[in-house]
Amino acid sequence: MDQNEILENERVEKSLSPHPLSFMRLQSLCLFLIIWGVLVGWLVNFSEFKDLFSGNEWFPILAWGLVLLLVGVIASLITIQWSIFFLFLGVFAGGLALMLSQGVLNESGVFIPFYSVAISILGFLIVELYRRSHKYIISNFRIIFKGGIITKRERTLRYDKITDIDAKQGVLGQIFGFGTIIPISQSGFGLGSDKSFAAGGINVGTKKVGFLGLFGGGKDVQTPRARSYYELHGVHPYKEVKKLVENLVQGHVITPYQQEQVAFQKEQVDIQKQMRDLLKKQMETKGEENESES
Amino acid sequence: MSGSPVDIVVFAPLAPLFGVLLFWFIQLLFIESHKYQLSKIWEKHKPLCRFTNFLGILYQTVCHALGFTVTKSGISNFYISVDYGKVAPKKEKKGIFEWTSNAFLFVGPFFIPALLLFIVFFLIQNGSIEIAQSMEYTFAEGMINFGTNLYAFSEHLFLLLISIDLLHPPHIIFLILLIFLGMGIRPSYVGEEKRKKVNMLYDLYNIKVHIFQKPLYILLLFLIAYIFFYISVLLKTNWYTSLFSIFGWLSIIAIVSLIIAHMIIFLIKALDEISGLLKILPFFTLLLSYALMRLSLPSIIQNEYIASVSLFVMLFSTGAVILLLLKFTTNKFKPSMKMKELRVEDGPKRNIRK
Repeated sequence: MDQNEILENERVEKSLSPHPLSFMRLQSLCLFLIIWGVLVGWLVNFSEFKDLFSGNEWFPILAWGLVLLLVGVIASLITIQWSIFFLFLGVFAGGLALMLSQGVLNESGVFIPFYSVAISILGFLIVELYRRSHKYIISNFRIIFKGGIITKRERTLRYDKITDIDAKQGVLGQIFGFGTIIPISQSGFGLGSDKSFAAGGINVGTKKVGFLGLFGGGKDVQTPRARSYYELHGVHPYKEVKKLVENLVQGHVITPYQQEQVAFQKEQVDIQKQMRDLLKKQMETKGEENESES
Repeated sequence: MSGSPVDIVVFAPLAPLFGVLLFWFIQLLFIESHKYQLSKIWEKHKPLCRFTNFLGILYQTVCHALGFTVTKSGISNFYISVDYGKVAPKKEKKGIFEWTSNAFLFVGPFFIPALLLFIVFFLIQNGSIEIAQSMEYTFAEGMINFGTNLYAFSEHLFLLLISIDLLHPPHIIFLILLIFLGMGIRPSYVGEEKRKKVNMLYDLYNIKVHIFQKPLYILLLFLIAYIFFYISVLLKTNWYTSLFSIFGWLSIIAIVSLIIAHMIIFLIKALDEISGLLKILPFFTLLLSYALMRLSLPSIIQNEYIASVSLFVMLFSTGAVILLLLKFTTNKFKPSMKMKELRVEDGPKRNIRK
């Protein structure tokens, strides 16, 4: 953390970065690309099914692309993130364009594995770069979240503004000791919503006249969710960090006893003020009396 | 049939049962050794040990869930973490249903994960396994047939293992599953906390309690087994021995996977002795030697042993590199001279006190 960013009397408790495996969701996309690309290479060149692909030069490309896009659709639907589908579409389109421009359609069985590995390595590098762009600073006053490769984003959260702490640890997190902590602010920052929608259509009518009836229903569920640069994403050691944050939040929250004490002190101050005013008044009246006597 | 009637009626059905018990016991011994080895590397390799714990708990929980599914109890809650797993049924069923679901929990983890691997093995191996035919239906023949079936299976399994091709995706999947099975096939926990269920005796005790809780069910199982045997005899088939042979095969798969898991742990322990960047040298050797052999050999020779030779070269070269590293970078193989011999060299009269 830059010294200029530190406030007066501020002390940095912990400076953290996400664990290398905490972006496994993105890394697994690259892994899938490698596995499927190599598998296509094996199927086309070495397997017992290689004759199936030798009929037409487009067969291996179509098989590769179809599975890629199908997995893209499934992954997008599960994660509610269409960027995965478009990413796979881009990979497929890029590969196809390269094969056409270089005239290597006949060699797709060799091109696809190498292309997949190259793209995946690039993907891994981007994910790593993205991970490294994240920085979380836990100080005695606040938590600072930083992230982003091109556009740098930053969020500062004071402990007294934290209402809730959501913490989660996946299987990999449990194995390697990292996890994600989402501090939810009073403004609701750190909350997302899961939407589900069901619809059914019915075609009613004869050959000539018909109409389509569409019935639907939606459901919204509030859930703790934030971008990786607005949460403590994949921090290690998870339990230690969670305890630290909870302690700091607790330290900034006024407990009922403390509230009672504050009210009592306020009452005392008020009484003292009243006494001071009374004394002042007394002094003033005494002064006036002395003046009139003299 | 020339066997004595007493032998056929009373003792013969027990033969394959004893065979299964023997192999299961060997499996338990390997599991115990595996747990001991893992507990030795716990401090240095917590993530690996946690991963093996997770696998073990996963197998156990899935088996328990399978038990509830088979008994139609339903599953209301399924929870799994690296150190704890829990399955709760929708309906609390008593009697034979409860007993069966508990049997799945206590005995299932030893056989059900191996069954998955057995299916994969059947899908990728070439040729079928010959089953020994029964003629006499005696105890001795039952044992011999059980052993013959196990031998036939082991032959196929080892042939696949020594010719495993690491450039063949189904082979890689089989190998990964085999390693995962070996790493997690234990119903107990290895970890930083000392827990009660940490040894083989505890597992055996659980099974004993389970059996003696409802001895009638065991008698019923024996009765079913005997009836099944008599049907096999009457129909002159080998179904009975074949059924138990499958359990024997599953045990063999489990034992092989445990041996491979042991090899991995030994490799990890050996690498722990080596310090610095040299630690990665064996991994490089492992990959490079195999890739070199596997890709260059087909242009030199054309035969079915290419994968086996590559595998052998990979294992041999990696082993040699580890031994050399241990010899030259650690004190592992340095001779420890006895004090007596040192005294002779220095002279017998030399004494520190003087």
